Amino acid sequence: MNTYALTFVVLLALLLLCNLLMTLLRRRGPQLAFNVALLALLAANAYLLQTDSTTYFGMVSVNPFSAFFFIAITSGILLANLLAYKYSDDYCAFSLLASFALFGGCLVVAANSLIAIFIGLESVSLPSTFIMLSSKKRGLEPAMKFFIMASIATAVTSFAIALVYGASGTLALEPHQQGLLLSLAAVLFIASLGVEAAVFPFSVFIPDVYQGSDAHVVSLLGGVNKSIGMAALIQVSVILFISSEFAFTAIAVLAAITMLFGNLIALSQKSLKRMLAYSSIAQVGYVLVGIATKSQLGIEASLFQIFAHAFLFIGALGILAWLEKSDRKDLDDLVGLYKEDGLAAGALSIFVLSMAGLPFTTGFIGKFTIFLSAVSAGLSWLAVIGVGCSIISLLYYVRIVMAVFTDKLGKKRSELDPATAIVVAVCLGITIAFGIFPQPLLGMASGGAAYIMALVPH
Amino acid sequence: MIPIIIILPLLAALAAMALAGDYKTAKYLAMAGSLGSLLLFPLVSSGTFSFAWLGVGGTALGITTMVTPLNSMLMLIVLVLGALAMLYSWGFIELPSEQKRFYFGMLAFEAAMLAFAMAGNFITLFIAWEFLSVTSYLLIGFWNGKSKANAAARKAVTIILIGDLALLGAMAIFLNAFGTLEFGAIISAAQSTRIPLSAMVLLVVAILTKSAQFPFGEWLTDAMEGPTPVSALLHSSTMVKAGVFVAAIMFPVLAAGGALWMIFVAGAITAVIGAVGAIGENQIKRVLAYSTMQEMGLMLMAIGANAVAAAVYFFFAQSFYKALLFFSAGISIKATGKENLDEIGWLTQNRLVYISTIFGVLAMAGFVPFDGFFANAGLAAGVRNNLLVYAFVSLVGLTTSFYTFRWFILQTKKTDEGSAIEYAGQPKSMVYSLVVLAIAALVFGAAFFWFGGFITGGTPSLVTGVPLTMGAEDAAVTTAAAAAGFFIGYVVYARMKKTAAAPGRSMLKQTYVADALNAAYAYATAFMMTLGEGIAYFDDALSDSLDKVGRFAADTGNVAKRLVHGEINIYIIIFAAGMLLLLSLAIA
Repeated sequence: MNTYALTFVVLLALLLLCNLLMTLLRRRGPQLAFNVALLALLAANAYLLQTDSTTYFGMVSVNPFSAFFFIAITSGILLANLLAYKYSDDYCAFSLLASFALFGGCLVVAANSLIAIFIGLESVSLPSTFIMLSSKKRGLEPAMKFFIMASIATAVTSFAIALVYGASGTLALEPHQQGLLLSLAAVLFIASLGVEAAVFPFSVFIPDVYQGSDAHVVSLLGGVNKSIGMAALIQVSVILFISSEFAFTAIAVLAAITMLFGNLIALSQKSLKRMLAYSSIAQVGYVLVGIATKSQLGIEASLFQIFAHAFLFIGALGILAWLEKSDRKDLDDLVGLYKEDGLAAGALSIFVLSMAGLPFTTGFIGKFTIFLSAVSAGLSWLAVIGVGCSIISLLYYVRIVMAVFTDKLGKKRSELDPATAIVVAVCLGITIAFGIFPQPLLGMASGGAAYIMALVPH
Repeated sequence: MIPIIIILPLLAALAAMALAGDYKTAKYLAMAGSLGSLLLFPLVSSGTFSFAWLGVGGTALGITTMVTPLNSMLMLIVLVLGALAMLYSWGFIELPSEQKRFYFGMLAFEAAMLAFAMAGNFITLFIAWEFLSVTSYLLIGFWNGKSKANAAARKAVTIILIGDLALLGAMAIFLNAFGTLEFGAIISAAQSTRIPLSAMVLLVVAILTKSAQFPFGEWLTDAMEGPTPVSALLHSSTMVKAGVFVAAIMFPVLAAGGALWMIFVAGAITAVIGAVGAIGENQIKRVLAYSTMQEMGLMLMAIGANAVAAAVYFFFAQSFYKALLFFSAGISIKATGKENLDEIGWLTQNRLVYISTIFGVLAMAGFVPFDGFFANAGLAAGVRNNLLVYAFVSLVGLTTSFYTFRWFILQTKKTDEGSAIEYAGQPKSMVYSLVVLAIAALVFGAAFFWFGGFITGGTPSLVTGVPLTMGAEDAAVTTAAAAAGFFIGYVVYARMKKTAAAPGRSMLKQTYVADALNAAYAYATAFMMTLGEGIAYFDDALSDSLDKVGRFAADTGNVAKRLVHGEINIYIIIFAAGMLLLLSLAIA
């Protein structure tokens, strides 16, 4: 076994062990320290894994694609840990469960077999349910909704896997000859993975769940779980169904309606979390455009966009978590924010404008490359819908910026606490640094995309 | 030096925002940022400069800046007026609570405008263009406690977004057709390759939206809801002329693509709308806004008629006297607390303001030796090969002179509340920025004589047009038009003491009916006012339909919201329905 891969597994095991121990001992402080250190090491280690391309046990494979997502999800969970430390009722449980979810996520993105994807997704969604349940002030409702939808998705996934096995006799993640059974399997996969990845119409429950949960939990759901779901969707759709015209037509159509649905409904939202929930559904639509192109450029753009949006979302939710502390959750509550805390105001504005596609931020690069890939793949109609939707989205994102920079008398200064400020600053740094110098991240995404495309016949 | 000159205001903006308590620091920072950039300006060397930004799938895109004399000209306008607008704002923005936000917006705008002025390819242009949209939205809606300001900001951003979309579309077609987005490469490629008509139409739409031209002109007058320094900087001198600037840069492409007639027609229609609107309008700033529309219409007409050099000089000269008049209007509003020309008076109270305003008025009306005279005469000379256009331009000049004096004379009347009005006590920073601009309006007239050789001769995209000249007869016609406009304005508003609100028709009953010229002009005014009302109606209808589109989108959202705002069983049904639909499609 390659040294770096071995180190990765050892670190992952260490993370789980430490969290188990600390949760038993109920030591919040040391647990956070361990989590931060180990997750940072994991992310650094994942960066070194990019050059690798080895398959283990026929189940998982370390390759540029999985390394890209390792980095994204470990950093995402690291930031969510910081937020949870500040805002969670039970940080110990959160971080233990989050490390289980990390384990599942790593399994999904490194999957070389449908079994690994199945097990991985289960080990992401179950801990997430328990994380939602661990909140004292929130009711059962969001957790139950999430659990039921995840269970249905699981059932549908297993049926889809059975269909693939019946048609091809193998569970390996490799291109198959197309037939009716596989077309049906493709639909079932898109639907079930669409639950975790937030694809319309399989994701209509998501805004409810987001609104009902604590903001730090939502940052995990929207920043990490969704990235894992998108990774699974890319792997399954591109590798298994690359030769199925139907699957990709379906993805293109779903991309269009996901963008339209997310953006149009976000227009009329007053609650910030709901608005961001719909906007994050809309962002999934853009990613789907990249997938629908079936090209290396499209996948590269999608990976970039997934990475970009994960940190935009986590950063924005960090600020929302801070606002919820003082019971503010609507757009109107943002009025005068700039007087309270310059960082929160500026960062929130940049996050939402970046979601809309502000130049020199990651949001612009992601969308631009996605639309470019759509045009060069002959899907200009999708690019047109995408640009139109971006413009619609500007209308509600700008409302946030406007509210933030509106005067309000009697505003007292109240600053972000250090933990939240670090999360916000890191997300802001990522957004701007990779917005001005996108090449390193684009290079990594292109490595991942090249790996995936090398697996399939052209 | 190029990046620093842009980054400096940006840094000042961020610093102003990040400052904790002290609002006063914000205005010093604003001054430091804008003056610092201005001082660095002489160090800017000409030439192009580029760096690779992102390379995706074989297409490399980069940031390119380009400094030709044309770019330097716009930069100079932005830097000088930027610094003056900051200085003016020292007195204008009084509320401490507003200052941080205001200077942040102004500095960020200045940085974006400088980037725009130096853009050397469409990527850079587009990025700067987008930043202009966002910052102008923030500044128009600055007083967002007023619902009118919010509505105006929304309307502006909606129309400007149409332009953004059109520009993006034009860029995509250019990239497809020429494989590059660099201005130089596109201009040279356009000479030999056929340019798709769609690209031309989209480019023209972008130009027309940003420069408030027909049929996208409506947002500009509403944008006057913003603070006066914003109107002076954004909506008369810099941002609103972005469209004209792009037309000047892309002049060879527009000429090769056969699109000049489009901007000519749109410019001519807007010139009429603007002139009529300025005559019929009573709100002090909106008069100036209409006149700005009209002037930009003239510039585009001139570019459409190949007289690009004359248009560029007009561009230069207009910036200073128009900013001056806006600054003066701001002082009047502040001193009297009124915005209606009928209620404003006593402009004569403050000597310095009064004389500076006279300079501006004479410049806009087109009197020697102010820069406006050279601008008007140069423009007329540029279109002289077509007598009809020449007559049209001269008539518009006469109208301009008339409404300029109407605007001015109405402000000098002695209203009843004389003692309550405090022109004299206006902040020094406001008055002195006015004086500086008055001198500029006088001095820059002389620039006409080297402008042709230096600016237009040194800029590759401008050399193909009609060169900048002026004959004695052009000077005579311009002066005659200005004098006639002045005479009518003087008779109607100083001698007859008409109010701004007086409809043209009732003038006929006056004792001066015998004055044939007056009567003819009154009829013309009445006719034009009716026409103006018609156009206003059309504009309203257009804005209504824009509103409706917005409301429709929101309604659709509401219906869909009701559909999904439910219980878990509904979610499951939607999931199953979506899946089954796809499954049945797969089987079929």
